Amino acid sequence: MKRLLDGGIRFYLVLVLVFLYLPILVMALFAFNKSPLYALPFEFDLVWFRALAENDKLLKAGLNSLLIALANTVIATSFGTMAAVAFGRYAFRGKTLLQALLFPPIAIPWLVIGTAMLVFFFWTARAMGVPGMARGLHAILLGHVALSLPYVIFVVGARLNDYPKVLEEAAATLGATPWQVFRRVSVPILAPGVVAAALFAFAVSFDQFVISYFLAPPGVTTLPVEIYTSIRKGFTPEINAISTIIIAVSMGLMLIVARFYRFGGERSGNE
Amino acid sequence: MSEVAVKGAVKRYGSIAALDGVDLTFADGEFFGLLGPSGSGKTTLLRSIAGFIELDAGEIRIDGTDISRIPVHQRNIGMVFQNYALFPHMSVAENVAFGLDVRNVPASEIRERVGESLDLVRLTGLEARRPKQLSGGQQQRVALARALVTRPKVLLLDEPLSALDKHLRQEMQVELRRIQRQIGITTIFVTHDQEEALTLSDRVAIFNKGQVVQAGAPRTVYQWPVNRFAAGFLGEANFLEGKVVGVLGHEARVAIPDGSEIVVTHQGIANGANVLVALRPEKISIEPGGSQAPRLNRVIGRVQAAIFSGSSLTYRVSVGDRLFVVFEQNKNRAPLVEQSAVTLEWETADNVVVQP
Amino acid sequence: MTPTTRTRWAILTLTGPAYLWLACTIFLPLLAMLALSFLDKSPLVPKPASFTLDNYGAYFSKGFYWPLTLWSIQLGFWVTFFCLLIGYPAAYALAKRIKGRWREAIFLLIVLPFWSNALVRIFSWTMVLRSNGIVDMSVQAMFPGAPSIDLLYSYPAVIIGLTHSYLPYMILTCYIALQAIDDSLMEAGRSLGATAFTTFRRVVLPLSLPGIISGAALIFVPVIGSFMEPRILGGTKGATLGMNIEEQFTVTANWPLGSALSFILLAIVLIIFGILYPFLRKQGGEA
Repeated sequence: MKRLLDGGIRFYLVLVLVFLYLPILVMALFAFNKSPLYALPFEFDLVWFRALAENDKLLKAGLNSLLIALANTVIATSFGTMAAVAFGRYAFRGKTLLQALLFPPIAIPWLVIGTAMLVFFFWTARAMGVPGMARGLHAILLGHVALSLPYVIFVVGARLNDYPKVLEEAAATLGATPWQVFRRVSVPILAPGVVAAALFAFAVSFDQFVISYFLAPPGVTTLPVEIYTSIRKGFTPEINAISTIIIAVSMGLMLIVARFYRFGGERSGNE
Repeated sequence: MSEVAVKGAVKRYGSIAALDGVDLTFADGEFFGLLGPSGSGKTTLLRSIAGFIELDAGEIRIDGTDISRIPVHQRNIGMVFQNYALFPHMSVAENVAFGLDVRNVPASEIRERVGESLDLVRLTGLEARRPKQLSGGQQQRVALARALVTRPKVLLLDEPLSALDKHLRQEMQVELRRIQRQIGITTIFVTHDQEEALTLSDRVAIFNKGQVVQAGAPRTVYQWPVNRFAAGFLGEANFLEGKVVGVLGHEARVAIPDGSEIVVTHQGIANGANVLVALRPEKISIEPGGSQAPRLNRVIGRVQAAIFSGSSLTYRVSVGDRLFVVFEQNKNRAPLVEQSAVTLEWETADNVVVQP
Repeated sequence: MTPTTRTRWAILTLTGPAYLWLACTIFLPLLAMLALSFLDKSPLVPKPASFTLDNYGAYFSKGFYWPLTLWSIQLGFWVTFFCLLIGYPAAYALAKRIKGRWREAIFLLIVLPFWSNALVRIFSWTMVLRSNGIVDMSVQAMFPGAPSIDLLYSYPAVIIGLTHSYLPYMILTCYIALQAIDDSLMEAGRSLGATAFTTFRRVVLPLSLPGIISGAALIFVPVIGSFMEPRILGGTKGATLGMNIEEQFTVTANWPLGSALSFILLAIVLIIFGILYPFLRKQGGEA
């Protein structure tokens, strides 16, 4: 009886995984299929990846996405880590309020945030006499950092909470100057959290469609925006090719995070 | 080595005074226990000496030098934290070497001194381990080695043994005492475990509500508590409220509520005064039968409960409308049965008049 | 500088950049949009605008918006429901029935897709659901001659796609909540004479409620504001409030109306949070 039950449970989990991965696998399959009309039988060909390599528009969008994601990672990780350190190491009035303010960027639908940014940036740019500045890669970057910041602060903050202030105090009693404490104790202890937060920030930005969609002026796009435009114009297996690459890369990235956390010995509670 | 002097230390958090005018001197080479309930100010004082807390008023001197404005890392103190605070990303040797490393001590000397230090705490051979791979007792030794390797002027211990189990704790108490004696470092030690404080310390100070209630040698403080709090916090005590009914020289007779009379020795006590007397449970002798003639320092009661705990017995005895606690060594006698009548008796010297 | 002023400067320097950024990109924009929702002309029009309540009035007076709102809320409900239906048992199996390396591996496999592009995952469903897609072909293979199935551009397509997108959220939050429940609590339940099912209903379910609630909030909110997913999978069927808001900004350029609709959407979200929050609070306190 118990064996039957266990078998049923495994079968159920497999079904859930099939549901999660089936569409992705199907999509990847068609990326390697020769037919431009998604027709079967399957015939292996790299024609769509070749076409992709010549599609300047998609490549340009891809480059834009990459640049924004990198800039976003640097900015959001630095500023977010700083704020997390302030929350983790100091008690001050207004701290609870500041921490509560991190929820709106996460809890408000991106559609609302994206359109609000469009409105505000438009007004600001016009007030400054440069209406063209309302949209563009810089505006998209502004938006992405805002969405990434709360995540960075949470991830780094969790790491800080795991390692209490007392370690830094211990270093000080041993004669370490504040700079030595920072470099020899705080940084090595925080590093895994900061790296995880950075990967997180990169993923948030690289994945972000809604905000970019509203802040991208005609002619300037990021990868998700360009993919959306292409889908709406009509399907082409080129989209499958680029999507397959994106999925492979982002899952790879996530696997790195998972490994990192495990070997850091931080993932507790599993046993 | 060094003497630490605290004068008029005050630290407030809002309306609460964590330290409310503390004066204490820690003599050179002394092992000093700070004792008190949580929130009594003992940890605040320790952290002020370490430099983590800035006093609102008062001063702290080490060998006569005011250190109030000196940052933590220049104070040259050694501190062992409650959960040891070993750096998880460093090996045992790296942990111990840290304090020398940040002082730019040459590598060869570091190696030598780390070796000596680990030798002192008897951990030689575990240099390459990570803190997570060590037992609680071993971590404790690493923390101690790390704190001592820089040859600090003062050693501060913040409940260092509280995370250990009872057996290990007793073993570490002996170790701690041995090491402290061996290097003769002035040691200030915070604990809420009164037995630990009595065992280890040359002197203790009892804290309550940010003030030092009493300071002195453990034996003195135990024998002669100054007030109800000190008597009750350090060990157990029976408290007898009574009225002085006769004074003769340094002795006074005190009538207690059940009608009996006890004798106290005390300077300048007036006839008719109300006094509070503390009486330690182990000083009272308990005998079966309740028919003895009335006498000074003798009361008749009835056993309410007899609690057996191996080497000793604890009796709760009702005398009139109050309960006496009595400890008795487990000798050959069969335990007294509950509800039986008993006679309690003790010496005049055991009656200690305390402030309420 | 005294240590206290130094600390104050440190806090200001550390939090300043992040919060200045959030102010300029989240909070001021929300205020700006709130202001715009009360104006009668789009900023795109070079004429001075004046105060009006018409944008909100339009929502309530025109019968047009109500079905959109209703479908958005229904969509949120269905997606949350299916995520719970599929996700909770999976989370339970993972937290209580599978141990060791397998648990870690399956857990990773479940959260992994969640990190790949949401748009791409929605797009992938078009290939599964359309006529001649995988679903259609499987049915044809099993029942030759059955009528062709084209689920693409239908209500179910939108629900399936969104459920797929948000399922990992529900599994994740429920897993965390279920894992925190000590097995001895279940044993205690059984030892007191409760059946396995009663123990589940009276002990496990109430204790895992915070996980369910936070999962529901994490799913409901973005689904209610979705516009890209219904557009790709639903086509012209099942227009949502989100789709309409998007059009106000990108097609018809009626920004004030779009702003008002955005704030109505936000109000719905707040109401949902208001309803769910007490549950989270009450249960969270016990956990």
